[in-house]
Amino acid sequence: MGLVGGLLKSKEPDLVTENGRHPDSVRQCLQQEALTYIDSLYRTAVRMTRNPSDAEDLVQETYLRALRSLDRFKPGTNLRAWLFKIMTNAFINEYRKRTRQPRNQSLDNVEEYYVYAHLIDSGVQPESRGPEEEVLASLTDANVVAALESLSDEFRQVVLLADVEGFAYREIADILDIPIGTVMSRLHRSRRRLQRLLTGSLVEAQPYGDSAHE
Amino acid sequence: MSNCSETLQRLYEYIDRELSDEEQAEVQRHLDDCPPCRDRFTFEENVLRQVRRCCRDVSAPPSLVEKVRRICNQ
Repeated sequence: MGLVGGLLKSKEPDLVTENGRHPDSVRQCLQQEALTYIDSLYRTAVRMTRNPSDAEDLVQETYLRALRSLDRFKPGTNLRAWLFKIMTNAFINEYRKRTRQPRNQSLDNVEEYYVYAHLIDSGVQPESRGPEEEVLASLTDANVVAALESLSDEFRQVVLLADVEGFAYREIADILDIPIGTVMSRLHRSRRRLQRLLTGSLVEAQPYGDSAHE
Repeated sequence: MSNCSETLQRLYEYIDRELSDEEQAEVQRHLDDCPPCRDRFTFEENVLRQVRRCCRDVSAPPSLVEKVRRICNQ
């Protein structure tokens, strides 16, 4: 929870005036707090749009939308998660429609091979069967970004929210408007895919339990 | 003590701190006694840490911060 959201919680009955608006002082606090999340929103936007210029547009659009509907924000709840929810909706409804980005998950396999080839081109040789840790240590940021950006929007999104931004499963479920079980399964599949991309192993990993050693 | 299969099934929930304190401690006990599982968990954590480090190394450009500040001060 953000600082302002936390401070405001105890005064909740006074937060909305008769015209349904937060008092100006509350609005100002929320606007200032919202600004502190700009790096967080921007780095997510860059990975989602795969393009810094589109990311800037998406972040601006997010703030414009947030300020238009600021009166619907309940102080005391999570402002950062609320902003991410707005950005996610803006990405799905505006950006993806406009740029006609493919959202088809069946492309994932094709993309995996592309990244695999890319990793080999870049000097990483996963087929040498070295220990996975060694492969991991030799990866550059460019390799990581390429692998991440090759994931479908749905997969990339949960990885960014959980692994980069540190949101809890419950928060991710709210942001993406999906059940918590879907968050967990999507996160699981995304991470396995990402890990295979990064270590260069295209062989489907053994399901948990099969390689168990007791 | 829980076995390897049960422990591996909780891998991500453990890493994400989504288990109850009791479950978290149970996984921890297994990892303390089982080097192969411990290696596996460490590897998984390292992959995620690398992704986090790489992605967090990005800040909003000053020109964008300025534009958004203007939006916020409207």
